[in-house]
Amino acid sequence: MDYWWDILNLVLIFSIFTISLNLLVGYAGQVSVAHAAFGAVGGYLAAFLSAKANWGFWAVLITGAAGAGAVGVIMSLPALRLSPEYLVLLTIAVSSIVLTIVGAVPQLGGAYGMVADKPADLWPLPGGQLLFPHQWVVPLIAFTAFTYLVCHRMGESAWGRVLRGIRDDEIATRALGCNVFASKVVVFGLTSAFAGLAGVLLYFYNQIASPSVYGLNVSLKIFAMTIFGGLGNFTGSILGAAVLQLLQPMLEKLVRLDPGQAFLIQLVIYGLGLVVLVRVRPQGLLPEGLSLWRRRPRAPAAMAPGPEAVPRITVPAAAAELSAIPAAERDSSVILKVRGLCRSFGGIHAVRDLDFDLQRGRIVALVGPNGAGKTTVFNLLTGALKPDRGSVELNGEDVRGLPPDRIARKGMVRSFQDVRLFGRMTAAENVMLGIHETAPEVWRWPSGTRGGENLVDLFLRPSETARVERETRARAMELLGMVGLAGVAEMPAGALSFGQQKLVSFARLLGTDADVLLLDEPASGIDARWVDDILRLVAFMRDSGKTVCIVEHSLHVVERLADTAIFMELGRITAQGTVRELTGDPRLAEVYFGTA
Amino acid sequence: MWLQQIEQLAVAGAINGSFYALLGVGFGLILGVTGRFHYAFALVFTFAAYVTSVMESAAGLPAPLAIIAGPIASAVLGVAVERLIYRPLAMFSGPLSLLTVFISSLGITIAGVNLITLAWSAGSRSLRLVPVVPLQAGDVTFTTLDLALVASAWILIAALAAILASTDLGRSIRAVRGNAVLARIMGIDPGRIYLVVFAIGSVLCGVAGILNGARFAVLPDMGDRPVVFAFVVAFLGGTRRSPIVIGFAGLFIGLVESLSGFFVSPQWTSLVVFSVLFGYLILHPMDLRLLRAGLAPSRARGR
Repeated sequence: MDYWWDILNLVLIFSIFTISLNLLVGYAGQVSVAHAAFGAVGGYLAAFLSAKANWGFWAVLITGAAGAGAVGVIMSLPALRLSPEYLVLLTIAVSSIVLTIVGAVPQLGGAYGMVADKPADLWPLPGGQLLFPHQWVVPLIAFTAFTYLVCHRMGESAWGRVLRGIRDDEIATRALGCNVFASKVVVFGLTSAFAGLAGVLLYFYNQIASPSVYGLNVSLKIFAMTIFGGLGNFTGSILGAAVLQLLQPMLEKLVRLDPGQAFLIQLVIYGLGLVVLVRVRPQGLLPEGLSLWRRRPRAPAAMAPGPEAVPRITVPAAAAELSAIPAAERDSSVILKVRGLCRSFGGIHAVRDLDFDLQRGRIVALVGPNGAGKTTVFNLLTGALKPDRGSVELNGEDVRGLPPDRIARKGMVRSFQDVRLFGRMTAAENVMLGIHETAPEVWRWPSGTRGGENLVDLFLRPSETARVERETRARAMELLGMVGLAGVAEMPAGALSFGQQKLVSFARLLGTDADVLLLDEPASGIDARWVDDILRLVAFMRDSGKTVCIVEHSLHVVERLADTAIFMELGRITAQGTVRELTGDPRLAEVYFGTA
Repeated sequence: MWLQQIEQLAVAGAINGSFYALLGVGFGLILGVTGRFHYAFALVFTFAAYVTSVMESAAGLPAPLAIIAGPIASAVLGVAVERLIYRPLAMFSGPLSLLTVFISSLGITIAGVNLITLAWSAGSRSLRLVPVVPLQAGDVTFTTLDLALVASAWILIAALAAILASTDLGRSIRAVRGNAVLARIMGIDPGRIYLVVFAIGSVLCGVAGILNGARFAVLPDMGDRPVVFAFVVAFLGGTRRSPIVIGFAGLFIGLVESLSGFFVSPQWTSLVVFSVLFGYLILHPMDLRLLRAGLAPSRARGR
């Protein structure tokens, strides 16, 4: 019987590894094959402290988890900028570093490791010393459940929404005002801490901490379990751990082999099993959004309406209701003041000595031939690129050189020419990601938000978190209704047509509540039927007091929308004025607008 | 005295570095062009050494034929893995293909290494390619085998660089590496180029495996450590750069590993290597951003 208890216990310990790794890989999209190495940090800390300093079980458990978390934070620093291929590499390097250190320090037992001198003792909790596998079952179920609850709470909240945004499109996530760096550091640190916890448990369970227990092979096995279980699905992670952990005992029972070669043949079958499993179910046993016991609203079955069934946008009605200020009384003070903005790439001056103002409640068009530097201007204004010189004043505050998320929070956001929705998230979630309820208290960390995006609120103020989440969803639905897409709110954004995606991206921008909206080719790539809707939407943005700057090639669009236009050539502003003035200029008419 | 020691370490580092260079160039070519995280590189490495060893000792083939058989076998293995496993899997798993290919590659390695153990015994085999004669140059000693290793590594790397730079095939490979979709429009079949790249990368890997087997021993787990160094070198050199650049990164890693042995005890030298990698990752954000922009063109738009 102890044989099966033993297997169950190992499944539980590995579930702690796989669940936490899933938060990192499945939600945040950060690949790591160093999870067992973080287990080693925890396990060795526990081994050292309980042997040399005689610390108790709970003290070394917490210290081990915290130590692994700290190493995870350190690893996150170089990991912040890497693509998945290189994260695999970095984490292999981290794994090697950790294993080399623990294997080379004589105080840690070298290659043989450290043997425990006492069993785990749950005191002061009931249960006492854990000597046999069956005594471990209940505590391990409790630890696994704790891990599951914490990771699930984080993954399925506003905080996890930011992680999934990072996974699908990091640049767009930052552009919506999410502090991507803080999220990544926290998720690396936290998942590493859980790995450390599992490592401590593995040490007490095996009564030894040695380099091979936490080797690269083990990390790779945990990684395979997680992928096979299904990314973005924690129940799948437990299943994945169970299936791969059971493969070997099953083979032992089922395949009677020459004992001398049995182990090798089992490994061959295990390896081939991985190849076959991943081929049969590349999304894993339980794909994201699928639950064993209930259907979540995240990815419902396709209910794509035909193109004719798409409701028209309801902007005029909404405009009447929301734009309380008559056009004449509208404040037209300067909201954005750009002076002497410069940026060069190598020897090429992409943008040179740019001076212009944006006024509240006005639409300004940035026009000019391809390569004039229009999109570069957006990149410079929103912080995606750092200007070489010059100043950008938003509401009288210099925002030059701030990171994109800070600038977005201060009230200037942009859309992208290629939309950049989060393809695997629903339309509603796309909009919700841009809605932040900010808190006045500065100490609210990270980045002064309230509700699920704030980890303190998430765990300590559940009712407020639920309220913020409800309000965020309601606001997102309202905005989607305004652009006529309430019917597809629960569809994955990647499944929408390009026109619909564009409208979702506008709803997403409006959700940020920013005053200045920079729209990169709002009407490009969509058929004529939709253009009118989009134009009305942009006009509505202006009527509700937003300042809009558009980059647009269609003269038709510019003429209908823009109050004034800025003409750019080769990185410089060569003309400014009303659209009529610009189109009337014979030189510009020849170089750009065409003589017609 | 210490000068002589440094000379000896530098020469040993250059020899190891040439070995890492060969591996890194092969792995970098595969990763850069196909985007497959080919962990089974370790299996290809081991397989070549075993094939040559078995051909030489058991089948009694003359050494030159056995030496040729190894890389041919590894090329066949590499191409078969790409054609029969990676390609259908990648087509089937869409955006997850990097991860699923990696897992699959892991499975292939585990299964393959244990199959090799079953087929050709777990014990160590020896491999004699050239008569090993110690040579003396000044205060430094090395062997004819070391000389063969350095020469074959750099001849192969230079040949690959020449092929990439100035043949039609090389231009096609670079086109696919730059933009597979565009290359297809230009009439290049990326699938075929992938196979070619796997063949070339596997040959380089196979040669490295044989040389490693001859220097030390032929063992089932002989690929574990070298493959990690191949990753490091390909990364430091940059998978989209010229083989010469990656080769120098390999040489650099070999020298760092070896010369650090002057200051720290041998079991710490690999720690020094990984710390160099780690430091590089922290200190070179700009390079990496460019790298990343190159690797994920669709994500770099809009910047």
